[in-house]
Amino acid sequence: MKRYSLLLLLFVTTNAQVYYSGLISPLTMNRLSDNSQISLPFRIAELEVGFSKGDIDFKTSSAVEFRWTGGDPKLDFREVYLIWYPSWGEVKLGKQIHAWGAVDGNNPTDNLNPYDFYYMFLPGADRKIGTLSASMKYYWNDWQLEVVVIPEHEPNRYPFGEDDFPIAMDDPGYFLTAGETMAEYGMRVQTTMGNSDISLSYFSGRDRGFSLIGYNYYIDWAAPVLTYRKTDIIGIDIVTFFGDLTGRTEVGYFNTNNDRTTDIITFNDAAYVQFASQLEYTTTNDITLMIQLIGNDVLEVNGSTYAYDENGNPTELAAMNEDELQQGMGTPFAMFTDLGMFVSATGNYLDNALEIRLNSFMDLKDKQSMLGGGFSYSPVDNLKLELSITKFMGEEGTQFNEMEDFSHLSLGVKYSF
Amino acid sequence: MKNITVLILIAAISFGQTGIEIAKMVDEKPTPKDMSNKIKMVLTNSKGKSRTNVMISKSIGNNKKQITWFMEPKDDRGVAFLKIEHNDKDDEMRMWLPAFKKVRRISSKKKGDSFMGSDMSYEDLSNRELNENEYKRLDDEIVNGVECYVLEIIPKKEVKSSYSKHISWIAKNGLYGVKEESFDKRGILLKKKEYTFNKVQEYYIIERVFVENVQKQHSTEVTFLNVKVDSGIDDGLFHEKNLKRLPRN
Repeated sequence: MKRYSLLLLLFVTTNAQVYYSGLISPLTMNRLSDNSQISLPFRIAELEVGFSKGDIDFKTSSAVEFRWTGGDPKLDFREVYLIWYPSWGEVKLGKQIHAWGAVDGNNPTDNLNPYDFYYMFLPGADRKIGTLSASMKYYWNDWQLEVVVIPEHEPNRYPFGEDDFPIAMDDPGYFLTAGETMAEYGMRVQTTMGNSDISLSYFSGRDRGFSLIGYNYYIDWAAPVLTYRKTDIIGIDIVTFFGDLTGRTEVGYFNTNNDRTTDIITFNDAAYVQFASQLEYTTTNDITLMIQLIGNDVLEVNGSTYAYDENGNPTELAAMNEDELQQGMGTPFAMFTDLGMFVSATGNYLDNALEIRLNSFMDLKDKQSMLGGGFSYSPVDNLKLELSITKFMGEEGTQFNEMEDFSHLSLGVKYSF
Repeated sequence: MKNITVLILIAAISFGQTGIEIAKMVDEKPTPKDMSNKIKMVLTNSKGKSRTNVMISKSIGNNKKQITWFMEPKDDRGVAFLKIEHNDKDDEMRMWLPAFKKVRRISSKKKGDSFMGSDMSYEDLSNRELNENEYKRLDDEIVNGVECYVLEIIPKKEVKSSYSKHISWIAKNGLYGVKEESFDKRGILLKKKEYTFNKVQEYYIIERVFVENVQKQHSTEVTFLNVKVDSGIDDGLFHEKNLKRLPRN
């Protein structure tokens, strides 16, 4: 924080142009089943402050995380970074959020930042955690080359022990250990060919989500070892146009390895693919329709799983099957469904004062689905009222069956300044 | 005798000009190499309720390349839009969405789509290429004290315009648009447009556009403020990296 303060002071004292914007956005979520309040944190206020001088900008983005019951408000400096805009591109240094990928909402190739699972159902940068990194983007005619270096791995933020979170997550405590320290890096090349934009990317780092890789013996029992595997990703994403339709596709190939030594090794390596592909169309009365297919396919897995005795010790060993692989990187929705389909319709009315949206997710392999809808209405400039309903449905044993009690009504106000 | 001959010659030339010749004169009139301005757009519905958008825009090459940053309302602030027209392929349109931290390429094909919910479509905002239309001269008229050529402009089929035709009133002195009526594909009047131009240096620069969608009973008024022309805007500005950076004062 001290180094950021010094940079800020430098900018302020050298007549930099200052700009700011922010949001005040209280909201409440209530269960559809019994109208009880869902007590999870949300960002009640957000502020972006920037300083600009010549070819250099200094940007900050902070938020106040708040919950109606249980816990004090928390100030979060989500991003604090410098940007230099030379003639050939841009260079960024500091705590920042990156965004790769062509598809909306689900990006298998976008793994530079961890996810904050408290904000999993929010779009875009809202669901990500900023990380300290350096990036450089070089532009040359229709080509772009981006390189990102992240000196320290940061994992996803999980809502351990949150009764109100739709998926039960227990804190692994000291069973979870960080992987060997290593810098992460990524590279992305984009070009335009005809009416299409095509990108190739590569990222090497550690999983954002932890998984079991083995056990260590402690006297008379074997303690599980959970950690963040080393994973390399090769990705491709394409945007193209077919007449009035827009197509966006993204595919990521993940190669994940266990680089730790334990007394019992239960995971060696695996390879899997995640994909997302969407078509968009806007009707003559300005309704945007979108259909998106997402999913994953495990190509290979080399590991074992144990049965357990009454003391929780592993006993019988069997080869790990594809369904047992925990994917530690990629887009969360593509991790728990082999093949799913999102469908959405969004319309703007009353001179963009009213937005109505309907969306649905269907798992095409298992019987689970989500249905949602909502509107946001702006009675005066800079003020929005937002209401949405989300319903989860699923057969016994599916993820959405566990989430049925999370089906909720959300009501919020957003004031922008 | 000589004077009469000259007058007859001038009259013959004026009345003899065809629609395409007049359109060519308009197309070839001097235009600024570049332009920057602040745009205030007021949308008014049939109940009289209005909403205002404010943007800053810079363009070169007679709007062949244009970059626009949205400043108001505040929840749109930071959104930016880049348009590059190509002769040999589809136009490129890209939007910077700060909430997603992405530059999003969007379709340029749906030119009939409304721009920001206004009564102007992307087609209305694009340059009308001379060879993409057919022109027929109608009887000259005087509008608000201004002598005007009147042209019937019919987009060629291959252009896939959202209009069947336009009737344009063009000031004889200055060759700027005074008003235009645009008709939908069924040939029914859809939009009435009124233009106000201001002379800046040797150019006639648009100061105000009022568009009324007569079928929806909705109107849009666009005012161009702080207009600067030929200020030496660099071609390098029209690049997606500049979408992310709000223009400095």
